[in-house]
Amino acid sequence: MADVVLSNVNKKFGTFSAVENLNLDIQQGEFISLLGPSGCGKTTTLRMLAGLEFPTSGEIRIGDRVVNDVAPGDRDIAMVFQSYALYPHMSVGQNIAYPLKKRRVPKAERGEMVAKTAEMLQLTPLLNRKPKELSGGQQQRVALGRALVRDPKVFLFDEPLSNLDAKLRGYMRAELIELHQRLGRTMVYVTHDQLEAMTMSDRIAVMEGGKLQQFAPPQEVYRAPANRFVASFIGTPGMNIVDGELREENGRWLFEAEGLSVDAGHLGPDARPGPAAMGIRPEGLDIGAGPITGTVQLVEQTGHENITVVRLAGDLRMTGRTAPDQIWKTGAPVQFSIDATQAHFFAEGPTGKRLNREDPAVEAQAANHATLKEAIS
Amino acid sequence: MVRKIAFNLFAWSIVLVVAFPLFWMLVTSVKPQFELFRRPPTVLPETWTFEHYWKLLSETNFLGYFWNSVILSTTTTIVVVAIATLGSYSLVRFRYRGRESLAFLVLFTYLLPSVVLILPLYLMLVQLGLSNTITSLVIAYTTFALPYALWLLRSFMAGIPEDLESAALVDGASRLGAFWDVILPQLLPGIISTALFTFILSWNEYLYALVLVNSDEARPLTTGVMNMLISSFNIEWSLLMAASVMMSVPLIVVFAFLQSYLTRGFGAGGVKG
Repeated sequence: MADVVLSNVNKKFGTFSAVENLNLDIQQGEFISLLGPSGCGKTTTLRMLAGLEFPTSGEIRIGDRVVNDVAPGDRDIAMVFQSYALYPHMSVGQNIAYPLKKRRVPKAERGEMVAKTAEMLQLTPLLNRKPKELSGGQQQRVALGRALVRDPKVFLFDEPLSNLDAKLRGYMRAELIELHQRLGRTMVYVTHDQLEAMTMSDRIAVMEGGKLQQFAPPQEVYRAPANRFVASFIGTPGMNIVDGELREENGRWLFEAEGLSVDAGHLGPDARPGPAAMGIRPEGLDIGAGPITGTVQLVEQTGHENITVVRLAGDLRMTGRTAPDQIWKTGAPVQFSIDATQAHFFAEGPTGKRLNREDPAVEAQAANHATLKEAIS
Repeated sequence: MVRKIAFNLFAWSIVLVVAFPLFWMLVTSVKPQFELFRRPPTVLPETWTFEHYWKLLSETNFLGYFWNSVILSTTTTIVVVAIATLGSYSLVRFRYRGRESLAFLVLFTYLLPSVVLILPLYLMLVQLGLSNTITSLVIAYTTFALPYALWLLRSFMAGIPEDLESAALVDGASRLGAFWDVILPQLLPGIISTALFTFILSWNEYLYALVLVNSDEARPLTTGVMNMLISSFNIEWSLLMAASVMMSVPLIVVFAFLQSYLTRGFGAGGVKG
């Protein structure tokens, strides 16, 4: 059953269009990430779900209610803010109790619920402290407690981990996943961090320029990006994207760029001869052997692998992954090959659509993928 | 070392220049009449007396003026703070056309000298049937205290993260509830410094009180004391000094308690966030 539905939602600030024609169907109990760069409309979308912004047009449903005109407090949602937004003049206990107080929960019951939530988040010894006396991680747990205490239907998170240090962020990520599993509540999570989105979500909604680019499970977003933007945004190091031209020859397509020629095989009916782009993930490059010659520009040693940047003719740079013992000197010539079955081809333009590939070899390759979370983390 | 001493000497001499009139005021108010004009003057009185204070309180309308001033300043402060708090909230939180120009327009009164404003204001208040009332002074003081109060509170308000209010709304508060529960407690330092500023301004104001009010029933301390003790032929120095001391005491007490808020308030526009 769909729990949260956005239908044709638009949001304009003056003449600026922050969200354009957005359609999202979120299932009950699903963990959804809204992912995109700054200004892509993800936070505006979340604020519309919360009732802090009102859509210019379109409909928002939570459960079986249209909530367009429902006040934030009556939507049965809870939200965790990036700044935590703890009330500075209230103690931790008062902060957590505030939503209960506003819902006229009797005092005795309130105390019990606060105590229970505090215990779950290990906040019990801190209940009488003021927010400014807490560390960032503790503040974040208080913000979480304030959201958890009244067991809302939908949780909204606005980049809740971005103010934490890397180690704590990893820890909180795991906590949130566990929390989601335990509560089974619908959660909508805004982030610009693809690692968070990939590791936590059931599905990711990738946004750019106020428009939804793709809404799919993490694996699919990584494996089969809907367009060039999604392809380049997801993955670290990012996908190598080469501008060139597509050409048809005897029913097969050929992609050509300066110093490169890749067999694209059979492409779907959207393929047109002319300007296009090819995308290949770093793991699709085999550096060390192959028909293409380049020079090593940079080797980054991360420990369990090396990230090697190779420069080709025409100042084109491509990044590949190599084993930790494969180290080249900067400027050394190197041979490499591109695994054409792993390549994606995109129509012209920054959000050019990915062209379907209709090769059995490619499909076999896609089915046979290794764990992706490892590949991007 | 020499520099430090020189600096201290300089600082203390300034303090002395500023503090001497206050000291002299206090001393004069407790000197008996015959000691006032003695030459050479006595620095500390040979005989201490509180007769001037007693005379002021028992034989003159001083307490009446004092009471008028208290009512006048308190009412003005309440009116100004109430309007400025809500006004600054509107200017900071809501998006509407002409918001910025409105904020600048309210400062327009400061571009004109009071003398230019006072006559039209007087005529308007007469037409409203408010001449010679404390209400007329409350209105007049509000016109020139409010713009500054609005700007002062606006900078405080801008420093309160919008997320706090959003969180309160999501937690189930109404807009007014969020304002009361979350915004007001955060704004308290700003409200205190604005209130102090307005109170001091209305307590010490002279020109408008002189022009707008011409009856003893409504006269505040500033003009009341002048009217009572200074005539073309005589100035009652000892009474005047005693009155001055009693006028200053409430302000000094309030200021001493709240001065940290006040200085914080005046610095608020300068440092953002």
